[in-house]
Amino acid sequence: MLGITLITFALTKALPGDPVYSMVGERSDPETIKRIRTALGADKGIVDQYRGYLLLLLRGELGRSYYTNRKVLDDIRVKVPMTFMLAAGAMLIAVPAGILMGLAAALSSRVRTDRIITGVSVIGLSLPVFWSGLMLMYLVSLKLKILPPSGTGGLRYLVLPALTLSLPAMATLTRITRTSVNEITTMMYVRTARAKGLSELRITVVHILRNALIPVATVIGLDFGSYLSGAVLTETIFGWDGIGRYAMEGIMKRDYPVIMGCVIVSTLSFVLINLLVDIVYHYLDPRLRLYGTDR
Amino acid sequence: MGLTAKATAGVIALLFVLSLIAPLIIPYGADMIDLDSIKEPPGWEHPFGTDNKGRDILARVLAGGKISIGISVAAVIISLGIGLVVGLVSGYFGGVPDMILMSVVDLILAFPSLILAIGISLLLPPGLYTVIIAITLVGWTSFARLIRGYVLSIRESSYVEAARSIGCSNTRILLVHILPQCIPLSLVMAGMKLGGYILTEAALSFLGLGVQPPTATWGSMISSSRAFLNTAPWMVLAPGICIAVTALCFNLMGDSLKDRYDVMKTGASGQDAV
Repeated sequence: MLGITLITFALTKALPGDPVYSMVGERSDPETIKRIRTALGADKGIVDQYRGYLLLLLRGELGRSYYTNRKVLDDIRVKVPMTFMLAAGAMLIAVPAGILMGLAAALSSRVRTDRIITGVSVIGLSLPVFWSGLMLMYLVSLKLKILPPSGTGGLRYLVLPALTLSLPAMATLTRITRTSVNEITTMMYVRTARAKGLSELRITVVHILRNALIPVATVIGLDFGSYLSGAVLTETIFGWDGIGRYAMEGIMKRDYPVIMGCVIVSTLSFVLINLLVDIVYHYLDPRLRLYGTDR
Repeated sequence: MGLTAKATAGVIALLFVLSLIAPLIIPYGADMIDLDSIKEPPGWEHPFGTDNKGRDILARVLAGGKISIGISVAAVIISLGIGLVVGLVSGYFGGVPDMILMSVVDLILAFPSLILAIGISLLLPPGLYTVIIAITLVGWTSFARLIRGYVLSIRESSYVEAARSIGCSNTRILLVHILPQCIPLSLVMAGMKLGGYILTEAALSFLGLGVQPPTATWGSMISSSRAFLNTAPWMVLAPGICIAVTALCFNLMGDSLKDRYDVMKTGASGQDAV
């Protein structure tokens, strides 16, 4: 975590462009610029600035935005739930659809079904989200006029961005589930289960799916984590007021405290999600409870 | 190479060659503004229609292809180069160098990749090289990680031990005995990453951080057409389809290489950016 604050800090300081100039305009008098600089603490040395920031972090603060002068933490508190809603919505679509399609592809006796599903999932991986988002917006909002094209609000506003964001995840999940199920179907214990005369449904759910879900859980965790850290593109297109757009605006305006805050919060959530995945592992795979995780 | 790999590589090569010779076969230049034919729908005159400044979209899409494919291929080659060196050193020697290199890798991987790429592309003046650098600086880590793991597994094999016992130097073992073993894995990985890099490049230029207008890139074409989504949807359609088809071909090529060499077990993809 310390390394991350250090790198982000160095990156923001290295960004060309001076926030003070963009705040007051190029032509203001030197006195004003000097005053603002002192107020922001930008006149101190870089090491002092970094030390000051770390002290701020230790107090559980993230500083104030250079532009709005609002506390970054307060802003993030508003934006994170929005992004969380979007990411959860996307996962609600992607997880069941991805797992079902992966299962269907792996277990179907017809080669053609497998081929079609695999093909569709590769296409899903290849679509740029900002484009599929715009296309959905065009069809659903502008032509069919069913849902609002963009903005932040209730469930009606959530559907399109969540659907857009879910596409690549759905494709990845389909592929992982298919590979993993294919591998497990060849295992001895599946044959044993079949020999015991268990029903096909029971074999699929209890013996195959439960074991196949372990790598799937990793992917769900990773994807969810990366969505939290900013579905920058999706949020930009649909005007969804989440943390990705907030970070992007911060970067564009050289609003250092905002950038730092966003990166720290998203990295933290990424780490937390990974921890969660590890816990889920233990639930899914009893062996790990005995021997510990070794990934 | 398998049939799919050949076919998809052929499609991309065709697209790339077309984009190089486009000025010779299309009567319109990519930046030729014609205010008499603004926002014309696709037709005989302009197969993909024209944009809000009357520029021929087919010409612009082809011009963009040169840039997108060029950037992705360059970024993959450089990432692979760095990844190979770091992976070989880290995996073979272990110890302190391994620890330092891998903590750098972990540190970079802990960042949200698109945000990091955005940050890096803001550091340098926008342009072709900046995009390549941004994608590479984020991308080399996954190559290094994978190759390190692979080197670790073959370091202990008996032929490496044999080479050591007849007195080969470390350099010779690395270059002659271990490096060639890493080639199939590297190729597969590169093939799988290319599709993701096409998407990352498109995303960066969509956000205005790529090669700057008026030069046509697929991402920036989509971003400048957003305002006309309702009145001229073909402006968004053509560059998007190009991105998707190119990424699709690269992904299929990667998959087919993977099946052929059977070096990676998971169905993981080369996709980074969301």
